[in-house]
Amino acid sequence: MLWEILKTTVYASTLGITFRSAAPLLFGSMGGCFNQTSGHNNIAYECVMLFGALMGVVGSYYTGSPLVGALGAMAVGIFISLIFGLFVIVFHSNSIVVGVALNSGAWAMTTLLMVTLFGTRGSVTGKDIISFPYLSFDIFARVPYLNTVFNNKIILVYLAYGMIFAAYVVMFKTPFGLRIRGIGQNEAAAESVGVSVAKYRLISLALMGAFVGLGGCCLSIGGLSLFSESMTSGRGFLCVASMIIGGGNPLKIALVALLFSFSEAMAQILTTLGLNGLLVSTIPYLAVIVVLFISGLRAFKGTAELE
Amino acid sequence: MKKKWRRGASLLKSDSARIMLMKYGISLLVTMLLGSILIYAQGVDLGYAMAEVFKGAFGNLYKLGNTLRWTAPCLMLGIAASVSFKAGVDNLGLSGQCAIGGLVAAVIGYTAELPPVAHVLLCVFAAGFSGMLYVLVPAIMRLFFGINEFIVTLMLNFVAEIMSEYTVDMILAATGEYTSATSTPSILSSAQIPIMIPNTSVSYSLLIAIVLAVALYVLYKFTLPGYELKQTGENLRFAKVGGVKVVRNFLLIFLLSGFVAGLSGGVEVLGVYKKFNVGFATNLGWDGIMVARIAESNPIACIFVAFIWGALKAGSLQIERVTELNRFTVECMKMFFVLMVSIDYERLYYSVKYAIARRRRRNAGKEAG
Repeated sequence: MLWEILKTTVYASTLGITFRSAAPLLFGSMGGCFNQTSGHNNIAYECVMLFGALMGVVGSYYTGSPLVGALGAMAVGIFISLIFGLFVIVFHSNSIVVGVALNSGAWAMTTLLMVTLFGTRGSVTGKDIISFPYLSFDIFARVPYLNTVFNNKIILVYLAYGMIFAAYVVMFKTPFGLRIRGIGQNEAAAESVGVSVAKYRLISLALMGAFVGLGGCCLSIGGLSLFSESMTSGRGFLCVASMIIGGGNPLKIALVALLFSFSEAMAQILTTLGLNGLLVSTIPYLAVIVVLFISGLRAFKGTAELE
Repeated sequence: MKKKWRRGASLLKSDSARIMLMKYGISLLVTMLLGSILIYAQGVDLGYAMAEVFKGAFGNLYKLGNTLRWTAPCLMLGIAASVSFKAGVDNLGLSGQCAIGGLVAAVIGYTAELPPVAHVLLCVFAAGFSGMLYVLVPAIMRLFFGINEFIVTLMLNFVAEIMSEYTVDMILAATGEYTSATSTPSILSSAQIPIMIPNTSVSYSLLIAIVLAVALYVLYKFTLPGYELKQTGENLRFAKVGGVKVVRNFLLIFLLSGFVAGLSGGVEVLGVYKKFNVGFATNLGWDGIMVARIAESNPIACIFVAFIWGALKAGSLQIERVTELNRFTVECMKMFFVLMVSIDYERLYYSVKYAIARRRRRNAGKEAG
């Protein structure tokens, strides 16, 4: 049995699902890493992602073009992140409270919008909602294993992997990234050399909104053409977790996000092996705790401490 | 008469009173405004909708009972959240702890055969302790490994919900009862918390919640341990220098918060549902957090906020029954309210005040020069 489980980790289908389901997490965490690094305790990712998923469906339904859906998702993401910014930066609200309110309101708001626009509870689907087309490349098509892993994915999936390098370059090779990191390390020092903290935080928030929204629409119009109530099911929180573990380095964050989506894929595959689906579906969440634990081992000094 | 009015006016002149007024006044106004836009957009008459919410919450004894029935869990989870927030612990895993508490209470409630009062006590304490055990994981990770507790508690919410569903499945498979796929068998009558007000669904759990709130208020206001707990949250360094055992206090806060959350789940199961329904705690945990934030972690204020929260819950169910409105409208209004209340009005107030004073001074200078 154990051998069988071990074998599934290298199945083409497992890695294929990993490759695909990492896209929302990668978009979310790569777009959000600037926001996280600049020192916001932002947990509103779940809200933005859910709205992105809904807007993807809405845009695609009314125009027939998934591209419009994706743009709509980015726009609504920016809008929500700016609301977050309005409260946290301008009005000095506690960011956790704003995050909690937005997250729990998002479920109500999206469901309300879904009922008003489509007239159904539960989920929306239909042939009027057009997903992104699947792409396939000849290079991979020749080897069956690679074909399953890398081919037949929507364009956003490939873009998500491009995001890793883009985020790395922006974070470490541009003045923008330098300032964001500076603000994160010492806000007052950054302010004293003439960096406008509020401006950079707003920009990083807008980036986060746009890409988390895009990640959300990967879920809804990334092949399934479906929106259902609270369909993100904690993926926004997984983004936050991977950013906390990755500690501001996009490469590390991406690795952690890939690990989470791998555990998500394993959960799906193990269910087909006849293991209990419910138990297996806790794997991604437990993986977060285990990874956090391992990354925290370095800080362990043998006694309980508080600074 | 005039003197009295003056005293009232001078009360309003104090900064803190003005801030309070501004905070709740502006929040309520903006919430009502946005809410009425939402209601209007759905094509329902505003006054009618508001009247129905009110009727649903306070229309008759039974409906008032519904409000009070929802007040109890909101209050208990509000207290659990207050305890942790007051001490600077971000325990966002209330719904998970509540679910685990509820599950344990339901299982003991239908298996153990004990005399009535002992059975209830056993169930309630077992629920509290299981909530406490569940919160031990993030507590240890925070204290020994320096891992931020909010993400761990969040993840444990999902784990708790899935695991409780799994446990319910196992129980149903073992007993061979397939009455409902998502709930345990009903608890024995000896484990039920009796109804407090006849002809309503208000059980004694409301009393438990209020006693808890008052006890906590007394603890914080009048006792040394309570003062130390408060200091740990407000100024960790000061508390440390003052000789407070901060680590022990921090752990205590975690455990107390988890205990109350677990207790609330147990009481909810024993008093209202009489069995464990999967997912009953999902939104309750977030409600508790919002109640605590609006009440600024004050246990007595929590009672009032939880009452309003209960009224909104009961009212929202009513408007879905009688009007075209969706009950999510009320959920959205709750979100607006929490967002507006979270604004740092103290800072806003003083910045406006000083801006006005500065302008006055400048104008005076202009006139003189």
